[in-house]
Amino acid sequence: MTTIGLPHFLIVGAILFALGMVTVVTRRNAVGILMGVELILNAANVNFIAFNHFVEGPDRLTGQVFSIFVIVLAAAEAAVGLAIVLAIYQTFRTIDVEETDLLRE
Amino acid sequence: MGSAPRRDARRSVVQGLLRVAAMLVGFLVGSRRRGARLASGRPLGLVTLLVLYLSVTLFIWGLNGFAFRKLPLSGIALLLFSAAAFGVLFLLGYLLGAVAGPFVADAATTIIPYVKLADAIFYLFAVMTVAGAGGCAFSRNIIYSAWSLLFALLGAAGLYVFLGADFPAVAQVLIYIGGVLVLILFAIMLTKQIGGDPKLTNAHLGLPAGVALAVVTVATLTYTAVMAPWKEVAQRGWEPTSARLGIAFLTDYLLPFEVASVVLLAALVGAVVIARKEIKETGDTYEETPSGAAR
Repeated sequence: MTTIGLPHFLIVGAILFALGMVTVVTRRNAVGILMGVELILNAANVNFIAFNHFVEGPDRLTGQVFSIFVIVLAAAEAAVGLAIVLAIYQTFRTIDVEETDLLRE
Repeated sequence: MGSAPRRDARRSVVQGLLRVAAMLVGFLVGSRRRGARLASGRPLGLVTLLVLYLSVTLFIWGLNGFAFRKLPLSGIALLLFSAAAFGVLFLLGYLLGAVAGPFVADAATTIIPYVKLADAIFYLFAVMTVAGAGGCAFSRNIIYSAWSLLFALLGAAGLYVFLGADFPAVAQVLIYIGGVLVLILFAIMLTKQIGGDPKLTNAHLGLPAGVALAVVTVATLTYTAVMAPWKEVAQRGWEPTSARLGIAFLTDYLLPFEVASVVLLAALVGAVVIARKEIKETGDTYEETPSGAAR
């Protein structure tokens, strides 16, 4: 039995990514799609930090810096995306992405 | 007039204590006999069987005061019920003690020396993350999806701690769980259909296609992760990284840091502007709201 290494974390990241992709593909609710995007970003973060720990070494911190940027941009994306979802809801009275196919009111 | 309820209350207290005592006595007697039988491995005698049956009956009578009160057991019903329960327990005990017990003990003595605490913690966090993500992907109710996302994010934060990244873990908990998840819950609550049913469930269009996509992705990425010759460096102990992270942000990564802060400012101002438009519109043109519902 081996100890926990890099492939373990990469596999967790892969499963997270795939489940996030399933969420994005199968949901028709705009908020659900945004949650899938959050899962995908988390998968990327797990990979960044795992590579930082196992490949880059503890002396350099590029992976962790990048993960912080990803978290910051995810926050910005969530704020703007959910505001857009609210605006769409005010216009169309629904957030089903297959029904909101008009650029005008 | 006030004495009757008080007497009832006192009697119920006494009865509850009596039932607790019966449960304790039944449990102690039964477990001691069982323990002796398990330790010796001899077949059960008639007296032991009777004592076990009586202890099960006592335990069930005591439990009846608390657990399944809709069905008060007494007399023949109690004896029959406890006989049934005793039969089930006897079968279970026989299976556990004679069949599964040696197997489990054998397996445990083989496996336990190889399991380290760190590995167990990693698998705990990994299972939490994957289960949360699975709930987020496959739950029919979108509020359950949001709560599953909470577990996925918490598990990912635990994985960050496991990898020696303390500051990203704290940022994950603060920003994702404290900010993004609350925003998502707000959006779910605010976008309920106002008249009629809240449209919380979503049609699972293309779920087989999505699952196939996920299987292919996981297989490919896992193959890459396992087979690729990663150049791993030697591991050292864990040490806090936030101080070095702050220095890195203000020296090597100063320009991306400032750009990210500008992006955050723009995003928040934009979000306020976009979300504020609705208030103005509903305030100005109240009559036009039904016509705005273009389908």
